[in-house]
Amino acid sequence: MTKSDVVTVRGLRKAYRDRVVVDGLDLDVHAGEILGLTGANGAGKTTTVECIQGLRRPDSGTLSVLGFDPVTQAARMRRLLGSQLQDSALPDRLRVAEAVELFAQHQARHGDELLMRFGLAARRKSAFSSLSGGERQRLFLVLALLNQPRLVILDELTQGLDPAARRNVWDAIRQLHADGTTVLLVTHEMVEAEALCDRIVVMRDGGVLDSGTPAELVARHANVAMVHFTWPDPPAALLEELKVLSGVRGVKRSAARITVVGSRATIAHVGAVLVRYGSVPADLDVQVPSLDDAMLTLLNGAPGQAGTAPVTDGQLIGGRR
Amino acid sequence: MNAMGRLVKAEMKLMVRDPLVLTFVFVFPIVTMLIIGGAFGTTPTPAFENTNPSHWYVASYLTVTIAAGGLVMLPVHLASYRERGVLRRFTAAGFPRWSFAIAQLIVGLITVTAACALLLAVAAPVYGIPPVHGAWRVVAALVLGAVAFVSIGVLLGTLLPSARSAQAVGLLIFFPSFLLGAGGPPPHVMGHMVKAVAGPLPLTQLTDAVRDPWLGIGHATGSLLVVAAMAVAATAIAARRAAL
Repeated sequence: MTKSDVVTVRGLRKAYRDRVVVDGLDLDVHAGEILGLTGANGAGKTTTVECIQGLRRPDSGTLSVLGFDPVTQAARMRRLLGSQLQDSALPDRLRVAEAVELFAQHQARHGDELLMRFGLAARRKSAFSSLSGGERQRLFLVLALLNQPRLVILDELTQGLDPAARRNVWDAIRQLHADGTTVLLVTHEMVEAEALCDRIVVMRDGGVLDSGTPAELVARHANVAMVHFTWPDPPAALLEELKVLSGVRGVKRSAARITVVGSRATIAHVGAVLVRYGSVPADLDVQVPSLDDAMLTLLNGAPGQAGTAPVTDGQLIGGRR
Repeated sequence: MNAMGRLVKAEMKLMVRDPLVLTFVFVFPIVTMLIIGGAFGTTPTPAFENTNPSHWYVASYLTVTIAAGGLVMLPVHLASYRERGVLRRFTAAGFPRWSFAIAQLIVGLITVTAACALLLAVAAPVYGIPPVHGAWRVVAALVLGAVAFVSIGVLLGTLLPSARSAQAVGLLIFFPSFLLGAGGPPPHVMGHMVKAVAGPLPLTQLTDAVRDPWLGIGHATGSLLVVAAMAVAATAIAARRAAL
């Protein structure tokens, strides 16, 4: 564990009877970063997070969270930890304001301010059972942030939230980040991960498949961009020039419709060529690979095919592979 | 306020909002005490150890309140918490390991104390409250019995997988115990077999330990010791099981 690591996990293994859920996992969460933990269902994300929170005892491996061992020093660790759990609830008849009062430790910030910020001020006297799914999630976030934690663990936080509420929650997470709080975010939403996370760790079968910044993951696993435009009777020289551009994997022509497939850098080169030919088509359209595409590639194990339709030889009219 | 105080405060509010608690711990013992207590008149008879039958039931029904709290209210409450992940949330939020178990014991004891007081308040103008012959033994039995049954309730709540199963098991234990050990016919009118089954029941032991010294029938020292042993054992196991 380096000085700047808030969480260090080495060789974590956890099995439920004979089913190994986490198998030799190594993970670091650096101070002040938002780390996204993602992967397919059953990849072991929640179990990993539960071990970090001290809710499950690992079969083997070492964990350090905020300098504490989550197994033997859980109580001290949890005072500095804010947690939003994937599957949990509050007592049905507990009111919103009572929940805030119940979970507030000595160092807690003013609960009303958080309730106001997350649109729950008017629901202070409402019972937990009467809250909608989105309101419950927002209340859990309020409770997770209440005690000014140094590390916040959020598991499937925005599940069930409407777009406005989700944006509101994202803003709150960005504010936490700006305040220097470290965030471990478990999510299936790649849009969310791309919007919020400094780094992403992708898990499969209980281990780490890959990690990096969103841009690095996209570059490694979905570096296929497409440029589409319409050009009736294009000059042969234009097509030839497009084929040999740096990064271009292929050029496809279907009547007047032209598609250039290549790396992200291709976009700039194609643009430059079109400008030189004196015309930028009005319907110029660029398809950029997303983190979602990178995840599909990673999790399905088929590199180079994400984000775009597979480019087959039959479709290509030229270009370098 | 510390974590324990906050938990006790919140749990007390939740208890009084729970219709199951209000029905089984507060209303049911009073209603049945009023009915059964009036069914056998007020003339002392040998079936009731030569005591006033109404007074017999007033003394007995305090333990029905305790049993209802322990066997019906708490198991459902706790199993529901476990089933829905409430306990995990308390754990993750950093509540001290023993805070929840102790808070449940405190809340359970406050609830049954309040229910007992209400039962006596209702019984007083109707049947009168019988004079207490062995006050210290009665108080000791009530306190130890409350601790024992609250702990049994906490234990059942941690063992049973869901609120529904806790309700089913709780009621299954409560009603036979209630009929054979406190609120049903007196032991003298029971058949040999029924008496043999009823005798060792925890609620029978508690009722004997409360009623006998209260009405001056006897000391019931053996029953008091059994209740004390139950209290110690059940509390030790329940506290371990309910630790966060």
